[in-house]
Amino acid sequence: MKIILRSILLLFVILSACDPKKGALYKQRQLEKQQTPAVEINEDEEYVMVTTIVNFPMYVNHDQAAFQRWGRARGVKTSILGPSEWDVQAQIATIEQVIGTRPTGLLINGTDPAIAGAINKAVEAGIPTVVYDSDIPNSERHAFLGTDWYQIGKLQGEAMVELIGGKGKVAYMGILGMTNMEAGFQGLLDVLKNYPEIEVVGKYDDGSDVEEAARITSDLLSAHPDLAGICGFDAMSGPGIGLSIKEAGKAGKVKVTTVDWEPEHIKLVQEGVIDVLIGQKRELFTWYGAQFLFDMVHDTNPLSSNDDKAGITNIPYSVNTGLLKITQDNIHLFMEDHS
Amino acid sequence: MNRDKITRLLQDRVFTLSVTIAILFIVCSIIWPATFPTFDNISLVLLNLSIESIVAVGMMLLLISGMFDLSVGSVVAFAGSIAAYLMYWYGMYVSVAILVGLGLAGLIGLINGFFVAKVGINPLIQTLAMMGIVRGLALMVAGAGIQNLPEAFNAIGQSKLLGLQTPVWFMIIVVAIFSLLVSRTVFFRQYYYIGGNEKAARLSGIRVERVKIIGFVLISLLAGLAGILLASRLGAALATSGRGMELRVITAVILGGASLLGGQGKIIGALLGTIFMGLVSNIMILARVSGYWQEIVLGLILILAVAVDVLAQRRAGTTPREYVKRASEVTPPKVEA
Repeated sequence: MKIILRSILLLFVILSACDPKKGALYKQRQLEKQQTPAVEINEDEEYVMVTTIVNFPMYVNHDQAAFQRWGRARGVKTSILGPSEWDVQAQIATIEQVIGTRPTGLLINGTDPAIAGAINKAVEAGIPTVVYDSDIPNSERHAFLGTDWYQIGKLQGEAMVELIGGKGKVAYMGILGMTNMEAGFQGLLDVLKNYPEIEVVGKYDDGSDVEEAARITSDLLSAHPDLAGICGFDAMSGPGIGLSIKEAGKAGKVKVTTVDWEPEHIKLVQEGVIDVLIGQKRELFTWYGAQFLFDMVHDTNPLSSNDDKAGITNIPYSVNTGLLKITQDNIHLFMEDHS
Repeated sequence: MNRDKITRLLQDRVFTLSVTIAILFIVCSIIWPATFPTFDNISLVLLNLSIESIVAVGMMLLLISGMFDLSVGSVVAFAGSIAAYLMYWYGMYVSVAILVGLGLAGLIGLINGFFVAKVGINPLIQTLAMMGIVRGLALMVAGAGIQNLPEAFNAIGQSKLLGLQTPVWFMIIVVAIFSLLVSRTVFFRQYYYIGGNEKAARLSGIRVERVKIIGFVLISLLAGLAGILLASRLGAALATSGRGMELRVITAVILGGASLLGGQGKIIGALLGTIFMGLVSNIMILARVSGYWQEIVLGLILILAVAVDVLAQRRAGTTPREYVKRASEVTPPKVEA
């Protein structure tokens, strides 16, 4: 009898362990279910992204790639429009002209507060509108996803303080005059001002140009042989700073923190030229931004019997997608994805 | 109509461009009947090209006299920034702030004109240097941008008259005034003489330096006006405004009939050039053509415009080799009268 009872108990334990809800096949099916849209997709559905410097590698590799991947996964049409230069006026013109073509949803790169008027026109026209990257104050956008540029500067400042032991000469560069970057500069300065032994030697405009960033760095190294660190704020700052530092044989001696994590940045961290990278999770901006538009259009999560009438939107109002920090310690994890 | 008349018409860029624009309009109306020919879409196209058209008028005048100005985009940013700065930080009257913005823009033109006409600096070098200086000044003044400008100021660029936004009316007025001035007044005819043959113009008693300086002052004033209208339309002054505008404006003006050799062009051609480029841009958006193509299309249009110019010059007896040689001589050598 005991043997029978023990066998039944053992069988029960084995069966419990084989819970179909935990099996690989079950998981795969669940994943497929999640990936298959529960809603009917209209074949005319078109989600339009309006950005600026449309062929900028960082935008292409992260924002646009994720947006297009999302479109393919959902089976809807995606279009990417915008000027090929940093031209706020041209971006506004594009938004305003796209409104007339009645896209299903608009995903707008929040480049400058001046685009608020165009965003409001889209919202007034009844087009679901999501802003990503930087928020646009005074706009009626339905949702925003992005990062806080002040925080980007603050993180760089904290990293720099640690790298140089709280003393020495520090310079920084980026695109002067851009609202988000100026917020980043402020974040950096707010951290550095707490360290009286740190001297900020200058703020420079590299115009998001590798050669210009390299030239500025080279001049800085000549003018301040005791320079302790440099912080870079646009995608080209890191490669430019890195180039000059390598040429001057100062890798490791002058500490470098920059933004973004393109393959060239990753390589410079690997070589010990850049010490810290502060990266944005840009893929999340546009993947979830597009998904928010989709959910709004398809009323995926209704909150009332009629959300429109109730004056609410059924998507998050604001999402901070957060930042990532890349150093020698975790670089290998990012190289796998960018090899 | 006889053959000569047809040939002359086909050589007139204003005519050919008008026909091209009309054909584009008809074709696009057939392809996108619900979105392209609407009043909303066309008024938007006009609004978006209005700022550049105002600058293009000044560029046409300069190119007629064989010169050009690369600092216009920076002046656009600077004039708007300085007016916004004075209104926002010093509470200055809107009208006074605008006048100061325009005055400083004019001063930039005066400096450009002085160094090009009196000192003899190549306009490419002078205006390229000024482009950097003025952009730096705009950055110092506006920083990350100045928002929350007075309502009275914003109303200038955001108000509507007969369904069209005010910048469009400003564009129409500027084009009309300069068309009349250039076609009817002796003073403005002098730009054609200088562009056609500076030596002959000088020998015939034209005060070339003075006319050139006035040309630079006028283009800077127009760029200043464009900058103030832009800041008013956006409700914000941006130091980054007008970047790359010089290339677009020069493209539009050459497309509209100006020659790199000088001596040719009509003010209405500047407007037609910007309308053509505005339509191309609108079509690319309606057709969902990726922004990647914009640079390529802009470059192709420029090549097309210059190729047409070369062909027209060849008919007039200038070989392509001579054309390139003369076009690269942006400052004709000084000749003592």
